[in-house]
Amino acid sequence: MRPARLQGAPQPRARHASLNEALERAAVSGRRGLTFVSADESETALGWDEVRERASRVAGALADLGVRPGERVALVLPTGPDFMDAFFGALLAGAVPVPLYPPVRLGRLPEYHATTARMLRLSDAAVLLSDGRVGRLLGEAVLRAGPRLGLRNVASLRESGASPIARPADPGALALVQYSSGSTVDPKPVALSHRAVLAQTDALRALMPDDTPEDPQLGVSWLPLYHDMGLIGCLLSALTYPGPLVLLGPEVFLGRPALWLRAFSRHGGTMSVAPSFAYAVCARRVKDEEMEGVDLSRWRLAMNGAEQVSVEAARRFSDRFSRWGFRPSALMPVYGLAEAALAVTFSPPRAPLRTVPVDPVALAREGRVLPGGRRLASVGIPVPGVSVEVRTESGTVAPEGVVGRIYARGPSVMDEYLGQPEATRAVLDGGWLDTGDLGFVQDGELVVCGRVKDVVVLRGANHAPQEFEDALDGLAGVRAGCAVALGFVPPGGDGEELLLLVETTADAGPDLVDRIRAVVAERTGVRPHTVQLLVPGTLPRTSSGKLRRPEALRRWATRTLYPPARVNAVRMFGEVLRSALALARARPRPAPEVET
Amino acid sequence: MATETQVLEAIRTIARTELEMERPISPEDDLLRDLALDSLGLTVLAVGLENRFRVKLSEEDAAGVQTVADLARHVASRTEAAR
Repeated sequence: MRPARLQGAPQPRARHASLNEALERAAVSGRRGLTFVSADESETALGWDEVRERASRVAGALADLGVRPGERVALVLPTGPDFMDAFFGALLAGAVPVPLYPPVRLGRLPEYHATTARMLRLSDAAVLLSDGRVGRLLGEAVLRAGPRLGLRNVASLRESGASPIARPADPGALALVQYSSGSTVDPKPVALSHRAVLAQTDALRALMPDDTPEDPQLGVSWLPLYHDMGLIGCLLSALTYPGPLVLLGPEVFLGRPALWLRAFSRHGGTMSVAPSFAYAVCARRVKDEEMEGVDLSRWRLAMNGAEQVSVEAARRFSDRFSRWGFRPSALMPVYGLAEAALAVTFSPPRAPLRTVPVDPVALAREGRVLPGGRRLASVGIPVPGVSVEVRTESGTVAPEGVVGRIYARGPSVMDEYLGQPEATRAVLDGGWLDTGDLGFVQDGELVVCGRVKDVVVLRGANHAPQEFEDALDGLAGVRAGCAVALGFVPPGGDGEELLLLVETTADAGPDLVDRIRAVVAERTGVRPHTVQLLVPGTLPRTSSGKLRRPEALRRWATRTLYPPARVNAVRMFGEVLRSALALARARPRPAPEVET
Repeated sequence: MATETQVLEAIRTIARTELEMERPISPEDDLLRDLALDSLGLTVLAVGLENRFRVKLSEEDAAGVQTVADLARHVASRTEAAR
């Protein structure tokens, strides 16, 4: 058996020394820049020369304010010209932009304040930039975190009359800090140098099929810009290219997904990158009448990543939209993580979707890849400059076809979690990044099939399991501290969903599942897909009593999550019998039910 | 200008067609607890109402809005103010 070690093509030669230099070049390139699409489909164009000019004014104002080179400048702004002013303004001031996510309409503000304050503190931001509308909601977080120069309105900085500046940046200097998306309990600031970010955009460029001046690559994205995929994969890729990019705010897409597809058609878009759920949402919610006159035939690359790729959702998308010219070969599963700047592997562009049929039970139980009824998407081979290894528990490289932990190494891997040496050491060793994901190599390509790190990825956003587990605190019927939150991909579903395994007490009551669903939705904003009640002692623990989440998921998936035998041997026997019968009938059935 | 009844009807339509909810929606329902709307669901609902009634809902609007009736009243008063 060949060892599960994959090597990408050589890293292409660096095109730019820093993002600052890339912006200077884009500004004089004469190429088309950014277009912002609003909810009524009106558009605002912003050329790269304008981006640079406005940013240099903000940079001057930041310098006057006292922002020093290398200091962090946090920004909370919706997708629009103000975001560009703040992000590139920070860079041209020699500072380090830290994009944070804006609050959700009708959303939960107390949690938002707490998380934003924590992110401001962790990145040691000197100042927070926002606009008049969102800025009104940031006072609380600013008060708690106390950035040295407070909260500033980016439009006022731009119009302050300060002399424009454009400081150069050292290739090895910190370029930006991005949070691994959405994780609120334990956010980790990923520190990326100019060199690392540019190594990533160079690698992505090398993977794009050739284009011509008459037929340039054109991305259309609704992804948030505080997330690696939107920021590096879309915005900074377009900057370093340099070329056009059409941007919609995430709320524009969520409000009416058809607007994304219509923007593709209007602009002749060729390229997208989005999580699995976005393609699923389009297939379900876009109506025929919204697609009148739409032509998707120029769409060449529909990258699908940021969460486990659902083969079924991808197929539903291409089936639904082939009528409007969408080509199935455009679908392209990709794999990456914020700690590697963005991409680790890419499936080959313009090739049919490659899937591996696996037996999910053998996969979870023995970590072996045997043919079966579940199709997993191959995420391809490492992007240029990147090496990937799948390692066994003992740390040796696994053979092909055996599940292990995925490690990645390359020039775009982060330097560190900013100011967190211990957390950094836990994932970086000798240049190798422990992704915390599980996968295997089959026929020279990587397949991602699970996760060992304690993270639930929903709609492309990372969540710590504690977010959901803590929401159950004090709920009558739930054994304190005896619940685990996990992510899993239901067969035929759109992507990863939330699973809660909950041990119960005597006063559980018949409505406990409903109450759990309600309290989790209310406190975390996520609706659990499956709530499984368990008798006390069922969840696996370490010898020191810590819950073993990945093991709990493995047992649940293989239907071996049994209560301790001494609790009720008779019922357990019945359970085994029923399991055996069900298997004999070869019918899919849910995990063992447990009376409470 | 829209009445609360019209907004309520719109909330029901959005819930059925865009949020794919099967349960009936009553004015007393709590947006988070009863309808279990997550951040994506809230955004879909807010943007849906904005598009229908030509109003702008802000993040701050969350403060006084707990139930479906609160939201209907809030949107209706906004359309009033926007006249």
